[in-house]
Amino acid sequence: MILDHSLLIAFLAVGAYGLRLAGLIGGQAILRNERLKTLLDDLPGCLIVALVATSLADASPLTWIAAAFALVVAILTNNVVITMALGFTAIFGMQYFGMGGKKQSEKTFNFG
Amino acid sequence: MKQGFYGILPFALGAAAYGFAFGILAAQSGYPWWGVALMSFSVHAGSSQIVAVERFGMDGLVIGAALAGIALNLRYLGIIATLSAILKDIPLWQKLVAIHITGDENWALTMARHAQDPKIGAAFLIGSGLTLMTSWTTSTALGALLGQSMPDLASYGLGFAFTAAFIAMARAMWRGRHNIAPWAVILWQQSC
Repeated sequence: MILDHSLLIAFLAVGAYGLRLAGLIGGQAILRNERLKTLLDDLPGCLIVALVATSLADASPLTWIAAAFALVVAILTNNVVITMALGFTAIFGMQYFGMGGKKQSEKTFNFG
Repeated sequence: MKQGFYGILPFALGAAAYGFAFGILAAQSGYPWWGVALMSFSVHAGSSQIVAVERFGMDGLVIGAALAGIALNLRYLGIIATLSAILKDIPLWQKLVAIHITGDENWALTMARHAQDPKIGAAFLIGSGLTLMTSWTTSTALGALLGQSMPDLASYGLGFAFTAAFIAMARAMWRGRHNIAPWAVILWQQSC
């Protein structure tokens, strides 16, 4: 590992933590402001929908079908683990036993 | 905290598959396994790490790679801000730890569970974050160490398991018809 490798780790670590700290400080300031407080109530849902949309962007029709199936499961069960398991089963099943579409390996996920 | 530890396990296993793949990528860019572990432990931002290491591998420029990685992490401004109410009653040092071990998955799971049961809070976030952090750091280091001899788990559709989980979390956060307009705009904007 050369100096540049270490520098990249340092910059990323400082940048990532700096953003988290700014979020913490900013969030507390918002909490003290009643008018802005309602903003935080709706923000989580919007951010999660953005994560879903990002992971579906440019995805194959197979993935969109699986996403629709997962949405139905989510509406019916309101359970994360069941939706996750059945969603994975659906796309795995369509890829390998049913519709024979493109594998989903091209899609990456924004793990945080 | 135990609830968080166990609740996040399915996500942590899925993230580990990506962690393993990232470890291989980082090793190809010249990082030793302990360097990958150090990055994962100190940065704890998967997408940011992946983009930065890819950029670094392309042109070797540290600043460009770091900026690309940090830009991808801007969403944490909002993510951490939404945790303010959950974190407000714990000591400062715990807040400083909690924000570092918060990732997309344990944040989303905590918010979804909190929406269903307001008693779910900081302890759940910290427990799930510790599991996630351990899983991410270990899997990336193992990827760099063991490398190429394992099957590509992502090719089995594992990535979609996360998408499905986020769909379920969005369902849990549905607060009524006033969500329709903003969610539709976000869905359209992000997926086009």
